[in-house]
Amino acid sequence: MAALSFQDVSYSYPGGARAALDRLSLDVEPGELVLLLGESGCGKSTLLRAALGLVPHFHGGRLAGRVIVGGLDTREHRPGELARAAGLVFQDPEAQLVAEGVVSEVAFGLESLATEAGRIEARAEEALMAVGATGLADRSTGSLSGGEQQRVAIASVLAMGQPLLLLDEPTSQLDPVAAEELLALVTRINRDRGVTTVLAEHRTGRLFGEADRVVVMDSGRVSFSGTPPEAARRLARDAPWLLPPVTQAFIASGRQELPLTVREAKRLLGARAEPQAVAGPAGDVAVRLERVWARRGQADALRDVTATLRAGAITAVMGENGAGKTTLALVAAGLLEPRKGRVHTSGRSGYVSQNPAHHLLRETVGEEVAHALELAHIPAAERRRRVSDELERFGLAGVAGRHPHDLSSGERQRLAIASVTVGRPAALLLDEPTRGMDGLRKLALADLLRSLAADGTAVGLVTHDADFAAEACDLVTTIARGRVLADAAPRSVLSEGAFFVSQVGLATGRARTSEAAAWLRATAGERLHA
Amino acid sequence: MKPLPAALPCGALLLLAVTADHPLILAAVALSSLFLLLAAPPPHAPYIWFAVLAGGLVVAINPFVGLQGLTPLWRGPDIPLLDSEVTAEELAFGAAAALRIIGSALAVSAFIRLVDGDMLARDVARVAPRSAMIGSLGARLLPTLERDAAGIVLAARGRGVELRRRRTATELVAPLVSLSLERSLALAEAMEARGYGGGPRTARPARRTDTRERVLLGAGVALAGLVAAVLAGAAPYAYYDLLDDPLSGAGVGLAVAVVALGGLAVGAVRWPR
Repeated sequence: MAALSFQDVSYSYPGGARAALDRLSLDVEPGELVLLLGESGCGKSTLLRAALGLVPHFHGGRLAGRVIVGGLDTREHRPGELARAAGLVFQDPEAQLVAEGVVSEVAFGLESLATEAGRIEARAEEALMAVGATGLADRSTGSLSGGEQQRVAIASVLAMGQPLLLLDEPTSQLDPVAAEELLALVTRINRDRGVTTVLAEHRTGRLFGEADRVVVMDSGRVSFSGTPPEAARRLARDAPWLLPPVTQAFIASGRQELPLTVREAKRLLGARAEPQAVAGPAGDVAVRLERVWARRGQADALRDVTATLRAGAITAVMGENGAGKTTLALVAAGLLEPRKGRVHTSGRSGYVSQNPAHHLLRETVGEEVAHALELAHIPAAERRRRVSDELERFGLAGVAGRHPHDLSSGERQRLAIASVTVGRPAALLLDEPTRGMDGLRKLALADLLRSLAADGTAVGLVTHDADFAAEACDLVTTIARGRVLADAAPRSVLSEGAFFVSQVGLATGRARTSEAAAWLRATAGERLHA
Repeated sequence: MKPLPAALPCGALLLLAVTADHPLILAAVALSSLFLLLAAPPPHAPYIWFAVLAGGLVVAINPFVGLQGLTPLWRGPDIPLLDSEVTAEELAFGAAAALRIIGSALAVSAFIRLVDGDMLARDVARVAPRSAMIGSLGARLLPTLERDAAGIVLAARGRGVELRRRRTATELVAPLVSLSLERSLALAEAMEARGYGGGPRTARPARRTDTRERVLLGAGVALAGLVAAVLAGAAPYAYYDLLDDPLSGAGVGLAVAVVALGGLAVGAVRWPR
């Protein structure tokens, strides 16, 4: 019997214009590790919610067909009962925290399942041990970092002991090291404990080669289901942006081999490219921080920091979670006064928060973009023209009359950026703009940022997504524990470092896919010639 | 900290702050409550600021609304509805009232910071399960809302929109309501996904009371004894018409006892587990 079975399932959310799941059929066998891929909005999250009966019991809407999980039909059993058969870890760990203490948090599900009282504590502690989080047992959930919260969230589900684990983009909030650790943990849970695992994820680098099966979704349907090598061959033709970056580099080079991991790529190549310095654009200095110390909370988040943003260049600010990246962006944007040191700017700076919902103040998308111009008393005609231009540039003209909270997450992100760039800041700081974005959206964002830089804007991008930084940025500033390690270094450092390194860089020695592809073509040509 | 060991000393200090008149006892209560709060997990500053501001307000206002005391210190111009004569007794009464407010506020704050919210919710759940869950989630939502409000103001400034002080509250309401609705929906979904509402629940057994908590219970019982003594009239004190001598034997003795028991409670909280 399949651990999870979708039989010709269609589902529409209440008021939804189109089906979120469209005659979808899929069987997941016990012990399988299934990687679920697809663009944002293709139905991955809905599929996971349907597996636990949250769709339709919690969200409402119309469901046709049957979903069977652990032998239970989700039409006849509510999520509270289905929770014995499957556990779901959501994308945002903070949004699923119920209790104040970590052990109480992990025990919550066990208590809900009416587990024998005397066994709850031991099972909660065991689950924390399984995810390597015993050190967090005495902490309050409010004091945990994003990575720690996600570990506790997984422990909370594991403790309940269901045979099926569902994960909805669990690494979207994590830095590269925390994400790698988490994905390794998920793989271990599947391999060692035999827990059937279905994981929706945009960061495919680590898991693609590890999965037993890759399922690709498109418009609410399963468009492909097969082994990772089969999926790679199919996606190379139809949607290469869903593949691991290193595979994308090989496809772009025109080579026939499709390595799915850095290890495979290295084995195929034998050697990496010689280091190559790629000079970034030498525009005027738009923002300069000189020996800046700044506090957030009780501690110094920046310590003696000197950093530069140049006009016409995109500079990535990189570092692990809690390194001081956001503080640096806030100081550069003039939103946080440094405790010591100086900040020189050539004009006004704009800042886009990591939560786009924080930018949504008005009733319609058009009003939202116009808001800053109204307060700056820009004449009505000029205002209309600039708002119209910005809506067009960010692909929001078609939704100008809609309420901002009705937009998709991608549209919200674009609206947040448009509401800032309409004021034409000399420097634009964006805080983690790629959180939860799929590969295609990241490419579109990179294009947008390049167009802003081409207009002379100095763009600063706080991110821990090394692959995106390599594709989008010209310069890189790295930061650790409040101190700058390298200021405005050429992006080629992303192929050389140990922590801040793109997957393509690790495999080939070239940080950006196009550069790696060119090098791969050249090496293939040399071999042919030889 | 379990609810009862946290509640007993804090509750006794609160009752002492409310019932005692003697200024030395009130000062001792305020001091003990302050150190108990400082021994509890942070944050402390917002609670201390609130207590000191409330107390300061009473000290500043009392001399101008009281009409008692026989030791005038200063006389100002006549102002309708206000007493422009300030007496030593009015100042002393105001200071004692301020200590009463500061002591009460700090004792309640110390309890809030000391008590394990999950254990408190579980104890309340025995009587009113749904209310306990709502209260617990509501308490967790408040700091999140505070962070969201700060994020919205920051994002607005990031695009050159200063949310003016006068209008900030009204401009924040709509986005905050939207965000909190989204958050509460996500939380409700996550709870249901973890089996909440699927049937009767169990609760993990409460852990055994440890040595620190037993010491706190003891200090609380002893402090409750002092409350009984004060209620029985052990340390009376009059502010009007003339101030009594604050160095009377019973008053000093009770104040020292409050500080000693408060110190014991602080020591118990600070003692490593």
